[in-house]
Amino acid sequence: MFYKTTIFFLVLLTIALVSVAPAFAQVDFSGEWAPRFYEDNPERGPGPELADYLGIPINAAARMRGDTWQASQQTLEEWQCRPHGGFYIWRGPSQLRITKEVDPVTRQITAFHAEWLRSVDNPVYLDGRPRPSENAPHTWGGFATGKWDGDMLTVTVDHLKENYVRRNGLPLSDKATVTEHWIRNGDFLTVVTIVTDPVYLTEPFIRSTDYELDLHQLVEPYPCAVVPEIDRPQGAIPHWFPGTNPDLHEFAEKHGIPFEATRGGAETMYPDYRFKVKDMK
Amino acid sequence: MNRRMLWLFAVVLLLALRCGVQAQGRRGAPPQVPKAAAPIDLTGYWVSVITEDWRVRMVTPNKGNYESVPLTPAGRRVADGWDPAKDEAAGNQCNAYAAPGLMRIPGRLHITWQDDNTLRLDTDSGTQSRLFHFMGPEVQTPAGQKSLQGYSRAQWEFAAALDGEGRVVPGVRKGNLKAVTTLLKGGYLRKNGVPFSENAVLTEYFDRIKTPNGDDWIILTAVVDDPLYLNPSFVVSTNFKKESDGSKWNPTPCSAR
Repeated sequence: MFYKTTIFFLVLLTIALVSVAPAFAQVDFSGEWAPRFYEDNPERGPGPELADYLGIPINAAARMRGDTWQASQQTLEEWQCRPHGGFYIWRGPSQLRITKEVDPVTRQITAFHAEWLRSVDNPVYLDGRPRPSENAPHTWGGFATGKWDGDMLTVTVDHLKENYVRRNGLPLSDKATVTEHWIRNGDFLTVVTIVTDPVYLTEPFIRSTDYELDLHQLVEPYPCAVVPEIDRPQGAIPHWFPGTNPDLHEFAEKHGIPFEATRGGAETMYPDYRFKVKDMK
Repeated sequence: MNRRMLWLFAVVLLLALRCGVQAQGRRGAPPQVPKAAAPIDLTGYWVSVITEDWRVRMVTPNKGNYESVPLTPAGRRVADGWDPAKDEAAGNQCNAYAAPGLMRIPGRLHITWQDDNTLRLDTDSGTQSRLFHFMGPEVQTPAGQKSLQGYSRAQWEFAAALDGEGRVVPGVRKGNLKAVTTLLKGGYLRKNGVPFSENAVLTEYFDRIKTPNGDDWIILTAVVDDPLYLNPSFVVSTNFKKESDGSKWNPTPCSAR
């Protein structure tokens, strides 16, 4: 009788334990994700226009960097194969693949890896590892750790190299930190990025970008080769000196937006600014 | 350990473990009214922050500018025929303030509970009101006239809250709001007449995040399905920052221009 009761107890215990098994990963983000360019398509596909700083909380230093930038800079050999940085790439013009790294013993997901056409591997570690020291090298993808918040994955990224917030010369410094929120709603993935940069931004800059699951997608290889694109004297760097860029008004005139608004800044992010724009016209 | 003690131990263990899960509310939770069951608080004043699509949201784009929108040829024809004067004359100046376009218009939201089962969302831009009706899948959408804001069915989507070790934390709710809006009258996705038809279905997901500086945000992912004017579905996400009070609430009427 005692033996039967013990067996019954063990069965009961097994059922109880199974019903409360820990769940390390809430949602599986792995898969092939196609970007949906239904926001800011002209900026993300063909590329932003010169001196379009609308809706970005830049400071005067960032504006100066944008004003003195020349697109021809990207033909420099040092720039030709340069990947998009870990912040910008979510908004970039290519497909996304997310793979998962699984511990063979515990079978828990220990990391997600995100890669795009023109990016390096961007691992997000879920294993609780410590952040590297302040003096550790900065990379294009930075160092990223993730933490679950319900079904949302919250990612903290730092140790980024200097990069850009918009592909028209608006810079992001290597002191920037990024918080990402990965949200999956059915076959849609929305990734919220919030970047804080004490060097070039006066407020956190938030954007959310949407992808859709695409089972037939492949991220193609990107075997970039450096070639001399333009014959120029050694050491010449395309640029404008401050106050000499003749093209700064072009974007404003083309789209009928007051020049002052195109200069950007935190004020331009808020709806009240649209009344000011009307008064400027 | 005698037999009676063994039984007692088994029952107590089972109850303790089950209670840990049930209190979390995901499996077998006692029924609660939607207001009480909310895994996130959406109430309060929220301001849209325009860091995306600035030049088609903060100013009215020119006729024929439907950049980024996957319009069908039929949709393009409608957009190319946009005539704000005609809209004004016909009393249709609120066409761009219908549910699929409303949330992209710069302005503020005020979200409150109208009752235990209905969440209410007011906008200062265009002074529109939307109602989100929480109802079970067995309840049919009431028949009614099509309108700019349509009829929105709402449901909470729950998720488990985990501790650092990956265990379920009892009593902590996580999740988001999903709403599906039908019975739409048809209107504009943008102020310059980029259309959606009266057969469009709007599916929305409201998520809450907190940024490192302590700000609270709603992230709204919206999908518009409309085989007549859109192919494929149109998905955008919009970001709203919480404000401490309604001091910046600034009601303005619909404008067709």
